[in-house]
This record gives sequence, structure tokens and C-alpha cells, in this order.
Amino acid sequence: MGFTKDTAADRAKHDLANRLGIPEADIKIQNVSDKDFPDMALGVPENGEMSGQMISSGWQIVLDAGGNDYEYRADKYQLRLRDFKGKNYVIEK
Amino acid sequence: MNRNNIWVHISFVVILVALAAVIGQIDRWRAALKTLPPSTSCPIRSVPKTVPAVPQARPPELLVRFKQGVSLDEIRRVAAAHHDQLEDEIESVKGLSVIDDLDNTDPNVLAEQYRSMKDIVDYAEINSQVSFDDPVPAEFSAQYIDHPVPGLPDDPQFADQWALDNQGQENGKAGADISALEAWKKTHGSEDVVVAVLDSGVDYTHLDLRSNMWLRPDNVPAYFDDELGSFNDQQGYNGTDPLTDPMDDNGHGTHCAGIIGAEGDNSEGIAGINWHVQIMPLKFLGRGGFGTTADAIKAINYAIDRKKHGVNIRVINASWGSTANSKALEDAIRAAGDAGILFVAAAGNDGSDNDRRPHYPSNYDLPNVISVAALDRNDQLASFSNWGVKTVHVAAPGKDILSTWLGDAYRDASGTSMAAPQISGVAALILAKEPNLSVEKLKERILKSVDKLDSLNGKIASGGRIDAAKAVGN
Repeated sequence: MGFTKDTAADRAKHDLANRLGIPEADIKIQNVSDKDFPDMALGVPENGEMSGQMISSGWQIVLDAGGNDYEYRADKYQLRLRDFKGKNYVIEK
Repeated sequence: MNRNNIWVHISFVVILVALAAVIGQIDRWRAALKTLPPSTSCPIRSVPKTVPAVPQARPPELLVRFKQGVSLDEIRRVAAAHHDQLEDEIESVKGLSVIDDLDNTDPNVLAEQYRSMKDIVDYAEINSQVSFDDPVPAEFSAQYIDHPVPGLPDDPQFADQWALDNQGQENGKAGADISALEAWKKTHGSEDVVVAVLDSGVDYTHLDLRSNMWLRPDNVPAYFDDELGSFNDQQGYNGTDPLTDPMDDNGHGTHCAGIIGAEGDNSEGIAGINWHVQIMPLKFLGRGGFGTTADAIKAINYAIDRKKHGVNIRVINASWGSTANSKALEDAIRAAGDAGILFVAAAGNDGSDNDRRPHYPSNYDLPNVISVAALDRNDQLASFSNWGVKTVHVAAPGKDILSTWLGDAYRDASGTSMAAPQISGVAALILAKEPNLSVEKLKERILKSVDKLDSLNGKIASGGRIDAAKAVGN
């Protein structure tokens, strides 16, 4: 099953709540916008990951928790977390 | 056979030819409709460029050039005497007139009547009308209908392929292309050349690709890896699932394959740089378009193995990468070079300088690696494209590139992913003409076969855009 903009945002909230150990209700969606990314890893490859070098359309999801911003990126195939404690993560594919 | 029977037979043949022409046109419309893709959010181009005309009866007309000094009044009088009329005077050619027949005289008879007026007529000829819908004999249809312009393929979406023939369409710059038409005067490719597309697989059932797909020959054993076991490699390699074939579940690999070798001049979709070639899918990217370095290495290893078994793999197209350096990947690519395989890699889409911030595998300093930047339709470096005067070798069209997609569809895509297969395609064209060229000579030829561009001066090593015509030489 692929993501939609809404399901990707919901899944991102769920992931961030688990990572931070806080209730999902404490996480706010700051912004969800359509965006073109530079490659098929949505510009945030995990270490050692290779991706197609094609401009890819997806969504940038910015969440707020406790005054800090967290950026997720998604398209219909995948959800990624950008630069969380210095690393990128594939959340779901 | 009496005279009446002859006319009955001639009439019957004319009706059959007309019917065949109409049916042929319907088939072309049907073929064009097949290119319409399923619903997708991607920008789609699928409109055939020829607008079919409605067949019309045409009056027999003559083009008659009257001698100098014959007045228009005199021409009108002569025409009226033969139950004809002066339809037009061609001002740019003195004395040339268009004569319209009013009494359905056989045009050949009519022409002879005017030719016999030697005192006032220089020549008279039938005004042949040639259009796409004319019920012309088959031997003419091949020349004038399927190939309205000599050298152009009949693929209905070819006019949208600015990378191959940029005539300034959609605000592009005329001539900002790879000079495919000139190159095709020398070669359209060869099915003896195998190009491996190391990617997300290829939709090998696509109408515009299926005749150019590699199939494992009977004399080449199925692939077996001591650790990984048996592979279903009848149609290529699938590193994401050894038991299944390399069908593309993303689209990216299919797009790259179409640029290299969508069948040309087949009245379907687009033309690849090679009208004839063998595309071998090496799938290591999953449906999301990403994969691991290890899977890439395994796929390269497969290609080298097949080469050793006699499969003529000469090029690997690598429209992927990252900033992660891997010595193992570098070694695998070096081994491919030792096996005579050119490795063409996308320079990356970060809009950055690869000399300062390396991108791999394009940055590996190996004799068989070519790193490719992307150009737009105005010969400008695409805003997303990486560059590097030391580490990026050549540029090729890579923005708004039309090619094949999943499910018999076509779409535009942008990226150095789309630029790399232009170079892989040109490499295959060269090899079609010069099959024994070494990988080093092949790379050298490509880097010398460019049109220098001011926009690339100080940006990439060759300073130019690939020119396929220069590359295939004389």
C-alpha cells in the first residue's frame, strides 16, 4: 500500500512520538507541502544507500514537538526522517 | 480480356487501394492511442504529431507554363476553348499557370492537348497531389507517408524528443541536441551490442522496448552464485529477488532504457538513440528507486560473469549514486573495465561541485568511468546538475526528457539520470560501427566528440555537450 499526503503525515507523527517517547497529541503538524526532491531517496539517503538521480515529487512534512522542528519527507513509496541526531532514516518503504 | 473488363478491373483496384489507405490510417490512429498512458500525476506527452486529413476528391489540374509573351487573356481563351479555366497564375514563375479542368477529361489526355500547342506552351504536367491520406501505391507510401522527411523516424512522439532533434520547440534553442539525425545517417545501432541498465529493472513488455530486450541465449547457462544460489536470469538480473525476473516496479529504469534503445521507426511512441540494440536489465533498486551498494556490486558482478560467458555487454548505465564512497564498489567497477565494459554514471542532482563534494560512483577516477552532467533545452547546465571541471567529464540533455514508462506509457523526467543514458546510447552507437573498440578508446572518443559550450567552460572537463554525429565519425 502506498502513502498519500495525509497518511504519510500521520505515520510521521506516530514515528516521532515513538522516537521521543511522548504522546502523539503533543506533536503538531507545522506544515505539509508538495516538493520536488533531487533524487529518489528524496535527498536524504541513509548511509551507503544509492538512489536514482531523477527529480522526484513528494511531500515535505514538518512537525513540531516541544518547540523543536523535525523534517520528514515522503512520496507514495516511502517515508524518511531527515537529520535526526545527525542521521537520515528510512521509516517505511 | 475486352476493354470494358479492363476498366472494371482498374476501378476495383483503385477502390481496394483507397480502402487499404484508409485502414492503414486507422491503424496509425489506433497505434497512437495505445501510447496514451494510464492516469498518473506525472506530466505526460502522448499526442501524435500528424493531424489526419479527411480524404477529398480532387479535380484534375494541370501546371502549364506558357511561353513568354502569351497574355493572360490569351491563356483564358485557350483554356475556355478546351472547357477548362485558368485557376491561378504563379507569379514567381513567369508564364506558369494552374489550369482547372471543367469536363472531367483524363488528365493525361489533357496534358497532351496542351503540350501539342508548341507555339505557346513550354510544358504541361499533371498537378500531383501527395498527402498522408492519398490512396497512393504501397511503394510510394513507404517513402512519403512513413518517412515524410528523409532520415526522420516515424515514431509519433519524436517531435517531442528535443534531445535528439531540437528545432526550438517549447522555447528551446534550435540545435541544442545530440545531433542524432546526423548520426543516424551512419548507423541506427546494432543488436550485437548489449547495454546493461543497472537500475530498477526494465518493463520488458513495453511496446517500444520489447523487441530490443536482451534474452539469455540458449548457449549461456543460467546464472548461479555459490552463495546466492540460482537466479531466474532469462531476461536479466534481479538482485532484489533472485527468483523473479527484473520487471521494473518503479519506472526509472524503463525511462533510462527508452533513451538508450526504444525501438526506432516502428510507428510507436518514441525513438531511442539506438533503434536496434539489446537492453539487459540489472535490477538492484527497489520500487522506491533506491538500493544498497552491496546489491549494486552483485549486479555488476553478474554482468562481468555474463560477459565471460560470451554476452557482448559493452556498457553499464548507472543513473544513480550518492555521496557515500565505497572502495568495494570502485573495485567492482574497475573489474568491469578490465572486462571491457564502459561504466556511465550520473553526476548527481545536488547542484554542487563534485570536485569539492564527491558523488559516487561518478567520481571514481577509473579509465572506464564517464561522469555525466545534465543540460536543459537551451544548452544551459540544468539548475539541479552537479558539475566539476576535474571530475565531471561530459554533458548531455537531462531536463524534460521524454521516454518510456511503465505500462506502455511515456512521460517526461529530469535529472542526471536522464543525461547518463544519452551517453550510454551514443557509446552503443559507436560500438555498432566499431565493435572492437577498446573501452579506453571508447571513452576517449566520447570525450572528444563534444560541441563546446560557453555555459560549460570551467564547469566540466570536456567543456561540451555530446555530439553523436561526431562520435560515430565517417
